[in-house]
Amino acid sequence: MQQRQVAIHIDQVSMCFGQGAEQVTALDSVSLDILENEFFTLLGPSGCGKTTLLRLIAGFEQPTSGHLQLYGQRLEGTLPFQRPINTVFQSYALFPHLTVAKNIAFGLEMQKKPQNEIDATVEEMLALVKLKGFANRRPHQLSGGQQQRVALARALANRPKVLLLDESLSALDLKLRKEMQVELKRLQRETGITFIFVTHDQEEALTMSDRIAVMSGGVVQQVGAPADIYDRPVNRFVADFIGETNFLNAVVVTDGFDLGKLGTLPYPVSKLGLGSKVTLALRPERLCFSEDGLPGVVENVVYMGTDTIYHISLQDQPGMHVRLQNDYGAQAAYQIGNSVKVGVLADSIRVLED
Amino acid sequence: MLSASVRRTGLLAPTVITLFVFMVLPMGLMAWMSFLEPGTYGGVQWGHYSAKSYIQFLYEWDLDDQLVLNTDYVGIFLRSFLLAGGATLATLLIGFPTALYIALKDEKARNRWILLISIPFWTNLLVRTFAWMLLLRNGGLAEQFLSSIGLVKEELNILYTPTAVAIGLVYSFLPFMILPIYTSLEKMDWKLVEAAFDLGANRWMAFRRVILPLAMPGIVAGCMLVLIPALGSYFIPELLGGGKSLMIGNLIQNQFGASRNWPFGAALSFALLTVVMVTMIAYNLRFKRAPGADK
Repeated sequence: MQQRQVAIHIDQVSMCFGQGAEQVTALDSVSLDILENEFFTLLGPSGCGKTTLLRLIAGFEQPTSGHLQLYGQRLEGTLPFQRPINTVFQSYALFPHLTVAKNIAFGLEMQKKPQNEIDATVEEMLALVKLKGFANRRPHQLSGGQQQRVALARALANRPKVLLLDESLSALDLKLRKEMQVELKRLQRETGITFIFVTHDQEEALTMSDRIAVMSGGVVQQVGAPADIYDRPVNRFVADFIGETNFLNAVVVTDGFDLGKLGTLPYPVSKLGLGSKVTLALRPERLCFSEDGLPGVVENVVYMGTDTIYHISLQDQPGMHVRLQNDYGAQAAYQIGNSVKVGVLADSIRVLED
Repeated sequence: MLSASVRRTGLLAPTVITLFVFMVLPMGLMAWMSFLEPGTYGGVQWGHYSAKSYIQFLYEWDLDDQLVLNTDYVGIFLRSFLLAGGATLATLLIGFPTALYIALKDEKARNRWILLISIPFWTNLLVRTFAWMLLLRNGGLAEQFLSSIGLVKEELNILYTPTAVAIGLVYSFLPFMILPIYTSLEKMDWKLVEAAFDLGANRWMAFRRVILPLAMPGIVAGCMLVLIPALGSYFIPELLGGGKSLMIGNLIQNQFGASRNWPFGAALSFALLTVVMVTMIAYNLRFKRAPGADK
């Protein structure tokens, strides 16, 4: 990756709400660097602090400790309207008393831009979000997807250095959401603006982002490219939150992992301490059925169109899911009650130390 | 089974009858009365029609029975509009910040404030107006307070002046301004203000471009609720104005009472009604096109 400037530098930021015994820590010493022209996603379950972090960047809240920088400039004490950062709100927050064009022009009018420049930018923004001809509508006359586009156009009209998107797609139905995901990616490429996107939807995060920060309990668990996070989760939370994962409890022995009654799974364990307890994370789609695998019984077969998922029960271990792609015209290979052997390749095992 | 049209008529009947008996009938009676000659000892002379009452509003008859312009009544109308309009403006200036302040509190505090504002309604307005007489008279609490901080040297001399009437009007109608504005602010989405800040609006611009337009329905409702009753107010000018600062309400009451000129009283009522209705219609037409009217 070529050297890129840091757009937002977050240094040891903590945020507490409330007083005394009722104090809640929303962010616990978070440090992150978000690069210029990056599509960066803050991903985590609700209450993980991702929205708080976004509000700190926007300037709606001030951190309890730590500091933020925008292109090397400290952001402390600057108010939201003084920051070249704009937000697309979860509820869009379009001004109901203004037309689409007036909504988009709002930020430019605040900057006292000349009228002909405002008109030109509004036209350009309407074209960018494919809403030409909607200039004189009111927000309530638009569909959810169109409102979303207006909110985007309004935030982009100011040419912010950073655009914040707060769960911006969650109010849309699935099909629109998919469309907007592609659309957002396109907008980010065309405008070259740094996007910081907040979501709890891991699939959305994986499809759109250049990099993802997985958050939980006010702490950043892992930062990395989508493939890094999916293939090399650093802990059980990340492995569990991103995609589907099977977990096996194991003890490290000389030639692999001891899985109790299931026997030993061969693995080069040189870097691991003998006798230590570890968790093995296995993606369902990296598993197969083979002669020399872990013995189990098919408990359920779920047909998904592209794939079939087999629920396998194992002795001494939590159940496993095995996901196999359906070939054209193929029938399910196993039925409920069949005894099977689940093949695990050493490559597909992620070892999480407890 | 009754046919649909009969059923519809039957269901509509209570509304129509109520409207007819309590609105159309008395108003019609008043309209009719305003075109009759006054009776010598009050009442009207049925069957003697004349437009004299409406002429009397602008002219009087001198000793030669010639029409001479008389601006006394127009003056009272003007004073009423000035007082009522002034009271509306003052309640708006006090009421809007109050409503905004309350709307920004958390829910518990908001309910407490609304309760405090509605407490005066538990006592009769007449009694409260008498209380103002005690407060405003010379040697009363207001004078004592103002002289103690050195603002007044001698007597206050405020009771029985238009100022006292204005104070009474502002006091009485303030809740009617606060409550509708509060209602429109309370249901406002404060994310919109955040959005305005986010887009570069400072506090003043966020107020002017977002909060104010969205509160407009409440402001208009509040102005209506203050202006219209204030125009027709009767005992506030009677008590606090001491009969010297007459308003339309007092003038009308006079015609049915001491002056024994019922047709003129009816004509004055209709003049007031016309002005109020024209104002309302104008507001409505204006407001339909105004921003924030459609949600």
